[in-house]
Amino acid sequence: MELTNILQKVELFNGLSEDELGDVASICTEKQLHRGEIITSQGAHGDELYIVTEGFVEIILDDSRKEPHKVVVNLGEGQLIGEMSLIDQGPRSATVRAALEPTIVQVIRRDHFEELCDHNNRIGYIVMRNLASDLSFKLRHRNLSEGSR
Amino acid sequence: MPVYKVSYVVTGSEHPGAIVNRDHAPVVGEQITLGDYTFEVIEVLDLMPPRGEFYYIHATIRLLRAEQEK
Repeated sequence: MELTNILQKVELFNGLSEDELGDVASICTEKQLHRGEIITSQGAHGDELYIVTEGFVEIILDDSRKEPHKVVVNLGEGQLIGEMSLIDQGPRSATVRAALEPTIVQVIRRDHFEELCDHNNRIGYIVMRNLASDLSFKLRHRNLSEGSR
Repeated sequence: MPVYKVSYVVTGSEHPGAIVNRDHAPVVGEQITLGDYTFEVIEVLDLMPPRGEFYYIHATIRLLRAEQEK
């Protein structure tokens, strides 16, 4: 399947035209991961956004005061990893590990992403709006998940 | 083509649940697979209003079985 067709099914790019999806595709790099491979580590510096296009990843929080290495959610096709570091440039908030063989992600570097948004403000506006929606969805999921415990 | 972004929350198990895009909305009674685990959907709700082709769904699921590591 063409990368633009894959990106069309990712909420982050909801509302972009075909040409704009092509611009996004031009800054993506595909990475294939083995089961158990670490993608990002909690606390590490990060300047890349990842989009899961196949497989699953585990989001792992290490709160040594409570539960070390606790898997808090699994993310599958179409989901984002590393979006918080992309926005606030802070350290990675969680460790992310590939949970299926294979797991495939598209990688977007922050500097490439910012360059694209500077060049085309419409892309920047739409992607930032969708990023906020994604964070809202994750927060709602977390609230429901904690409420069920 | 619509995309269903689904928040799966697992009840009665320590499984952390998942967020996944699907090409159809979950249905109560349906069996779904998340990685090595099979679940039954027991409740479906709209989590947020739809936007464009995207629908935001919450599904409560219960664990049926865990597969051997592949």
